[in-house]
Amino acid sequence: MSAQDDGTPEGRDGTAMADDGSTTPGSATAAEDAALQEALAAAHTAIWGYGVVGAAVPLEARGPVVAAEQAHQDLREQLTTLLASRRVEPVDDEGGYALPFPVLSPVDAAALAVTLEEGAATAWTWVLDQATEHSTRELAVGALTGAELRAVGWRAQAGVTPVTTAFPGLPTT
Amino acid sequence: MSVPPSSPLHAATFSRRSLLAAALAGTALLAAGCTDSPGDAADAVTPAQVDQLAAAVAVQEQLVSAYDRALGADPALAGTVTVLADQARTQLERLRAAAPGAAASTTAGSSAALDPAGVRGWLRTQVSTAAAAHAAAAPDFTGGRAALLGSIAAGLRGQEAVLA
Repeated sequence: MSAQDDGTPEGRDGTAMADDGSTTPGSATAAEDAALQEALAAAHTAIWGYGVVGAAVPLEARGPVVAAEQAHQDLREQLTTLLASRRVEPVDDEGGYALPFPVLSPVDAAALAVTLEEGAATAWTWVLDQATEHSTRELAVGALTGAELRAVGWRAQAGVTPVTTAFPGLPTT
Repeated sequence: MSVPPSSPLHAATFSRRSLLAAALAGTALLAAGCTDSPGDAADAVTPAQVDQLAAAVAVQEQLVSAYDRALGADPALAGTVTVLADQARTQLERLRAAAPGAAASTTAGSSAALDPAGVRGWLRTQVSTAAAAHAAAAPDFTGGRAALLGSIAAGLRGQEAVLA
C-alpha cells in the first residue's frame, strides 16, 4: 500500500482516499466505484431475497434457486474484491429487507425472483453507463446477461408475458 | 441529470440503497442511452466507434430480416416469434438513434428458402450471433451507448433461451 506524505492512502490512480474508504470525488473511478457499490447492494438484496424464494418453492424445484443465489454470491465476491483492491470499503448488506409483496406460493416466489433479477439488471446497466474501465464493462455485460437469462425463466414461472424484454435494465420509456 | 425515480422497484420496499440504485439507473440511462449530447464526454464517439455503431446497426438489421424470413418460412412460429421480432425492431430503432448519422438501410439478406423444419434452430443461431456481436462491442463504448449495447445483448440472450 502506498501512501502520500501526509499519511493519506492513495488510490490506484494516486488520488487520495477518504477516511471511510470511499474514493474522493476527484478519483478517476469514483463514479464507477459508486455504481459498483450499487451493484453490490443489489447482489446483497438478491442473496437475501433468494432465501425467501427458496422457502416458498418445493424442495424438488429449488435447483434454479440455488443456482441463482450462487450466481449472486459469486458476483458479490467479485465486487467486494474489486472494490477492496481500490481501497473502497464495500457496502455491507442490510441484515434484512422488507418484501414488496407477500410470498405465499411458488408463483409469488417466481415473481419475487423476477423483481430481484430486474433490480440486479438495473444496477448492472448503471455500471455499464458509469464505468471507465473496459474490464468493468465486460464484467457488467456478463452480469447483466446472467440476470436477464434468470429473469426469463422466472417470468415464465410467474406467468409474466412476454418472458423476454428488449432492454433489460433500461427504463421502458 | 436528475429525473424522478421511475423503476418498478421503487414500489417495493427493499433497502433504500437498492431503491436508490434503481432510481439512479433509470435517471442516467434515460438521459444518456440514445442521445448525443455534445457536452457529455461519455457520449462522444471516435470515428472508429462510429464505424462500430454502424456495424451494430447492420447486425441488428440482419436480425430483424432473419425474423421476417423465419416467419415467412414457418408461419406456425408466429405465436412465439412475433413478440421477439417486435423487440428486435425496437432495439434496432434505439440503436439507430444512438448511432450518429445512421439511417435505415435495405439489408441484402439471403433469399434462399429456409427448411421449415430447421427454421427455429436457424433463427436461434442468428439471435445468438447478434447477441455475441453486441456483447463484444458494448465494453468498447462508454456511457449510455455501452449500457444500450449491453442491454440489447442481454435481451437477445433471453430471446435465444426462448428459442431453445
